[in-house]
Amino acid sequence: MSGSLAASGLSVRYETPHGSVHALRHVDIEAHPGEVIGIVGESGCGKSTLVTALANLLPANARIDGAIRYNGVDLAKLDAHRQRLLRGDEIALVGQDPMTAFNPVLTIGDQLIDFQHHRKDFSRAQKRARIAAMLGRVGIADAERRMRSYPHELSGGMRQRVAIAAALLTDPGLLIADEPTTALDVTMEAQIIHLLRELRREYNGIIIVVSHHLGVIAELCDRVYVMYAGEVVEGGEVDAIFHDPRHPYTQALLACDPARFHDRLDRLPTIPGSLPSLTQPPPGCVYAQRCGRAFAPCKTIAPPLVKLTACHAARCHAVTP
Amino acid sequence: MSPLLAVEDLSVSFVRSSLLDRLINPFPLPGFNVIDGVTLSLMPAETLGLVGESGSGKTTLARTILGLVRAAAGRIVFEGREVATRSDFRAMRRRSAMMFQNPVASLSPRLRVGTLLTEPQVIQGLPMPDRRAAAKALLALVGLPASFVDRFPHELSGGQARRVGVARALAMKPHLLLADEPTAGLDVSVQGDVLNLIGELKRELGFATMIVTHNLAMIRHVSDRLAIMYLGRLVETGPTQEVFSAPLHPYTATLIRSEPIPDPRRRSHNLAITGEIPSVFRRPSGCEFHTRCPLVQSRCKTEAPVYRPMGADRLVRCHFPLQTGGQEREAVTRASANQRGN
Ligand SMILES: Nc1ncnc2c1ncn2[C@@H]1O[C@H](COP(=O)(O)OP(=O)(O)OP(=O)(O)O)[C@@H](O)[C@H]1O
Ligand SMILES: Nc1ncnc2c1ncn2[C@@H]1O[C@H](COP(=O)(O)OP(=O)(O)OP(=O)(O)O)[C@@H](O)[C@H]1O
Ligand code: SF4
Ligand code: SF4
Ligand SMILES: [Mg+2]
Ligand SMILES: [Mg+2]
Repeated sequence: MSGSLAASGLSVRYETPHGSVHALRHVDIEAHPGEVIGIVGESGCGKSTLVTALANLLPANARIDGAIRYNGVDLAKLDAHRQRLLRGDEIALVGQDPMTAFNPVLTIGDQLIDFQHHRKDFSRAQKRARIAAMLGRVGIADAERRMRSYPHELSGGMRQRVAIAAALLTDPGLLIADEPTTALDVTMEAQIIHLLRELRREYNGIIIVVSHHLGVIAELCDRVYVMYAGEVVEGGEVDAIFHDPRHPYTQALLACDPARFHDRLDRLPTIPGSLPSLTQPPPGCVYAQRCGRAFAPCKTIAPPLVKLTACHAARCHAVTP
Repeated sequence: MSPLLAVEDLSVSFVRSSLLDRLINPFPLPGFNVIDGVTLSLMPAETLGLVGESGSGKTTLARTILGLVRAAAGRIVFEGREVATRSDFRAMRRRSAMMFQNPVASLSPRLRVGTLLTEPQVIQGLPMPDRRAAAKALLALVGLPASFVDRFPHELSGGQARRVGVARALAMKPHLLLADEPTAGLDVSVQGDVLNLIGELKRELGFATMIVTHNLAMIRHVSDRLAIMYLGRLVETGPTQEVFSAPLHPYTATLIRSEPIPDPRRRSHNLAITGEIPSVFRRPSGCEFHTRCPLVQSRCKTEAPVYRPMGADRLVRCHFPLQTGGQEREAVTRASANQRGN
C-alpha cells in the first residue's frame, strides 16, 4: 500500500530560550508512488527539519503549521495512536546520525528484530532470516556474525547500512533517507544507490533522499527540490535542475561542486557570505544578502514562485518563464 | 627533513568482548586484525588523504595513533620520539587534535557549545580569563554566529556541528590534526569553507593533517599524498595527482571510476558491485581484493602480494599493478565502460 505525499504551507519553528528559530517556512512539496525525490541545500537550511516533519518525528520544542497529506489523509488530523501505526508501517526515516538510531547496549540483531515488531505474521526465526538477507543486500558481509555485534563495534559506514536495512525491514511505502551515503566509500555508495533503485521498482513506493553529494542526486533522483534558509527556492525534474538551473542559489551551488574541477585547486570554490538568521528571517528574498543579481525589490519584497514548465519552478524576482 | 609522525608496522586486533559470547562459545575466538601491518609517515605541514573501504580500519587507525585504541604490534614515532606509554600518548594528544566522524554524537549532549569549545583548553590548564569571549571568537573563526554559545549540540544542524568540531580541534593550535570525515554532511559550499579554513590555519600554524574521507572529489584538491586502505591494509600510496591520473591498484581504479558524476545525463546503468564483499573475520586467501578484482588471475587467490615500491614515491600491494598505457589498465577501463551505459 502506498500513496502520494503532499506537504502544503508547511512551516516549522523551534522554540528556544533565545527566541523562535523559523527553520521551515511555507514549504510546498509533493511526491508520487514510484518517484525518487532529492532534497539539496545549504547546511542548516532545514532539510532534516522537513523530512523529520514528514516522518512526524520532530523534537518536543518544534511547532508545526500547515498540512501533510499522505494517501489523501491529513496526518495532523490523525490521533496519536494512528500516527504511531503509520510511522511503524508506512513511513520509515533513516536519520542523519546513524549512531543515535541504535541502543548501545543491545546487539544489532536484537534491535533489527524489534524493528519488525508490527509484523506479527513472522516468527522470530523468519525475522532473523529476513535480517540476514537484508544485511547482505546492503553489503554487510558475514551477516550472522554481525547480528551479534554491538553498535560501537561497527564502523560508521556499517552503522549507516544497518540503519538503511532497519528501515527497509518495515517495508515502508515512504522511505526517507537523510544523507544515506556520507559514511560510505564510493563502491558501497554505488551499491546502495543500486539497491534504492531496485526498491523503487519492487515496491512502487516513494523514496526521498537528502544529500549533499550532487553526484548521488543526479544518479538517483527523478525530481529535486533545492532549499535555502528554510524555503524551497527551486524545484524541477533532475535534468532541468542540473542543466537549466534558474535560481541564482541553485546555480551557485552547482558551480561549487569540487567534482566539476579536474585540476587541483588551491582554494575550493564557495558561496561568499552565510545563511541569514532564522530567528529573524529577512522580509524580502532569503538569498538577497549573497545574490550577485539582487536588485531593488529583492531586499523588501518576497519573490513569487515563478512557474517555468509543468514541474519546474523557481522563487526569484529575476526569473521569467 | 624527518617526519612529524611515523607509523611502523602497526596492527590492531579486537577480541570479542561480550561475556555472553564467551559463555556460549567456550573456545574463544581468535582476535582478528582490523589493522594489519600499516606503515605510514606524515611530514610536517603535509596533508595526507586516507581513503578506503567502509570498515577497512581508517577510524581505528586514527584512534590508535592518538592512543585511544591499543595497538597489538608496531611502533608510533611522533616528533622524533617513540610514543609508547600512557603519558607519552597524553603528551602527544596535547599537541594533536582529532575531529571525530560523528559530529553530534561526539559532542557531549549536556554541555552548551560555548563550554564545549573552551573545555579542552581548560582541561589543559591554559589561562582563559573570559571563556564566553574566547568561545565567541572561535565561533567567528568558523563562520558561526556568536549566539550559538548557548546552544546545545542537538540544536545544531549536521553542518553546524561539524564547524563546532573544527573550532574545537583547532583551538589548541595542534601540530597534528586528524580529521575523520570532516566534510560528511556538509553542502559543497560549506565543505569548501571548512577545508579552506583548515588550509588557511594550516598555512598560518603549520600543522600536518591526515584527512580520512570517502569524498574523492574533495581530497584530490586538498591532499599532497594519498593512502588507500582495504581490509585493514594499505594497498597503495603516492602523490595525490599521480594516484588519480594513473592508479596502480585495481581497487583504487575501481574507486575512482565508481564516483557518481553530477550529471543526470551520464548515469551508470549497472551499479551492482560484483563479487563478494569480504569480512575481517574471514580474510580471503592470497590477495584480499581477489573476490572483487576485475583483473584477478589464479596466482592472486593463493599468493598474497607484498607491499612494494613502484617508481620514486609510490607503493602498491598487487601482483599485477596497472601501468600507464598498459594492457591491464585498458581491461579495467573496458570493464567499467561496460558498466557505464552511455
Ligand atoms: N531542536 C532544535 N532547536 C533549535 N534549533 C534547531 C533544532 N534543530 C535544528 N535547529 C536549527 O534549525 C535549522 C535547520 O536545521 P536542520 O537540521 O533541519 O538543517 P539541515 O538542512 O538538515 O542541515 P545539514 O545539512 O547541516 O544537516 C538550523 O539552523 C538548526 O540550527
Ligand atoms: N570497539 C570495537 N570492537 C570490535 N570491533 C570493532 C571495534 N571498533 C571497530 N571495529 C571493527 O573494526 C573494523 C574497522 O572499523 P573502523 O571504524 O576503523 O572502519 P572505517 O574504515 O573507519 O570505516 P568507515 O569508513 O565505515 O567509517 C570494522 O570491521 C569494525 O567492525
Ligand atoms: S529574488 Fe533577487 S536576491 Fe533573490 S535570488 Fe532572485 S535576484 Fe537574487
Ligand atoms: S593481486 Fe590480483 S586480485 Fe589482487 S589486486 Fe592485484 S590483480 Fe587484483
Ligand atoms: Mg540535516
Ligand atoms: Mg570511520
